Amino acid sequence: MRIICPVKRVPDTAASKKVDPDDFTLDRDSVEAILNANDEWSIEEAMRIKERDGAEVIVLCMGPEQAQTTVRKALSYGLDGAIQVTDPAIHGSDAVATARVLAGALREESFDLIIMGNQSSDARTTLVPAMLAEFLDLPALTYARKLEIDGRKLTAHRETASGHVVVEAEMPAIVSVVEAINEPRYPSFKGIMAAKSKPLSTRDLGAVGVDASEVGLANSWTQIIEATPRPPKQAGEKVDDDGSGTVGAKAIADFLAAQKFI
Amino acid sequence: MNFDFTEEQYQLRDAARDFFAGECPPSHVRAMWDDQTGRSPALWRAMAETGFVGLTIPEEHGGLGMDEVDLVLLLEEAGRAALPEPLVETTAIAAPTLVEAGTPEQQAHWLPRIAAGEAIATVQLAGAPFAVDAHVADVLVLERDGRLHAVPSERFNAVAQPSLDGARRVFTVEAETGPDTAMAGGPDAAAKAYDRAAWATASVLGGVAHQLLDMTVSYVREREQFGRPVGSFQAIKHKLAETLLVVETSKAATWYAAYAIATDRADRSEAVSVAKSYASDAERKANLEALQCHGGIGFTWEHDLHLWLKRGKALEQAYGSATEHRARLASRLFAS
Repeated sequence: MRIICPVKRVPDTAASKKVDPDDFTLDRDSVEAILNANDEWSIEEAMRIKERDGAEVIVLCMGPEQAQTTVRKALSYGLDGAIQVTDPAIHGSDAVATARVLAGALREESFDLIIMGNQSSDARTTLVPAMLAEFLDLPALTYARKLEIDGRKLTAHRETASGHVVVEAEMPAIVSVVEAINEPRYPSFKGIMAAKSKPLSTRDLGAVGVDASEVGLANSWTQIIEATPRPPKQAGEKVDDDGSGTVGAKAIADFLAAQKFI
Repeated sequence: MNFDFTEEQYQLRDAARDFFAGECPPSHVRAMWDDQTGRSPALWRAMAETGFVGLTIPEEHGGLGMDEVDLVLLLEEAGRAALPEPLVETTAIAAPTLVEAGTPEQQAHWLPRIAAGEAIATVQLAGAPFAVDAHVADVLVLERDGRLHAVPSERFNAVAQPSLDGARRVFTVEAETGPDTAMAGGPDAAAKAYDRAAWATASVLGGVAHQLLDMTVSYVREREQFGRPVGSFQAIKHKLAETLLVVETSKAATWYAAYAIATDRADRSEAVSVAKSYASDAERKANLEALQCHGGIGFTWEHDLHLWLKRGKALEQAYGSATEHRARLASRLFAS
């Protein structure tokens, strides 16, 4: 079996980010970049399949040259190889353009399964797995919190607001996973040392069959017109209770009633 | 010439930081204070699987075959996390000592078990009163009359001694040595084991000191007095800037000592004594200023600061205090 895990290099979730005032893209030099946390779940799931059934697991990453550190981080979990798509024309691509590039790279590859995080921690669109499925004409099992494999048949528990639904598909297929699916391992020191010697293939847009006119900031379907920093947190209302609870309880009840919760 | 660590060594450090953040948070250290043995077999196993424990053990015995320069940043991270497990004793002292001075039988018996996390090792060296975690150790590397022995657990008794740091358990040992426990190496091997112990402790102290400083910097940014954060006052700023200075320079000394041990340089023991005396003093300053800048809250049981204050105080003295190492350094320099 051959599994491909698309991953994304994202700014550190905990860091405060800066946006370029001219084109509203993220100033990537101002923050430390990390491997998208959701991709750790997809890598873990792929590694478990590899350890259970045997599989070759490849990481696929679209991003600038510096994203190679992210690719190496992904490889340190014990993956077998990597494909990185790097091209200056990609800068500023939205979800559709990203899916176009990833689909282009995947068309050149043989695979049975694509496992990816359900969203990136920076853009949070959750759209790319489904778009990728559309471009590649493959079934997509998204938001999986449990994945079972029986021969060529995939069964996923798809997380919903009220519980889960069971969905099935035949391989090849795309699966996007959520946090509940597993507990990712720590990369072993051996894995970190080995990551450097794993094969990494770097490709530009031409090599994945995508035209520069279809990607990048100017050709993205999504255009950002304005960006405003999040307003500072407003101070809350403080209620002093006399110790009996009558003042505090009434204030809470009044608040909930005003919000139409009770 | 490049004096910096390699990219991979920094990656290992980052991985160690992530690992300890997830597996050894302050709540874990607190739990170990209350635990009967003060040790977590689950954490030790996870550390072995990740590669910490067997780092200094050759690959043919199941380890990673790395050296002190690879280990030093990981020991700092262990200090930052106030890790309770005997990483210094097992990985930094006992394992490489067995590699260099053990008999082939001792190596074949112990090294694969240590690397796999199945055996814990501790040490009792001349000049050090206690054996750390001897109650859970499977093998004790013991110095007796200038010779090293590898004593299995059925041949020694561990007697618990009072420890100020509840997550660092110390013991005296009564061991039964014999020709069968003797290691191949002589007094030189024992001297090197002591150097490893002092250096590794200095490395952990660097991490303890850094953590004390980091906690204090965040606290003084938050704590307000006279309507502004206390960290904005020069009296506080200067204290912490001076502390950073001594902590950073002491780390450079431990890094050089790591290199001197790994490459067996002639000035190895001098480098180790410089490192341990600097690191003990730097941590002592960090310890003092951290408590001072935290004020009353730093004394309390509920605040995490004391987990590092007490570890730092214990390690300042472990394997030679600053004074003892300065005296050792002087006697070595003036003897030659």
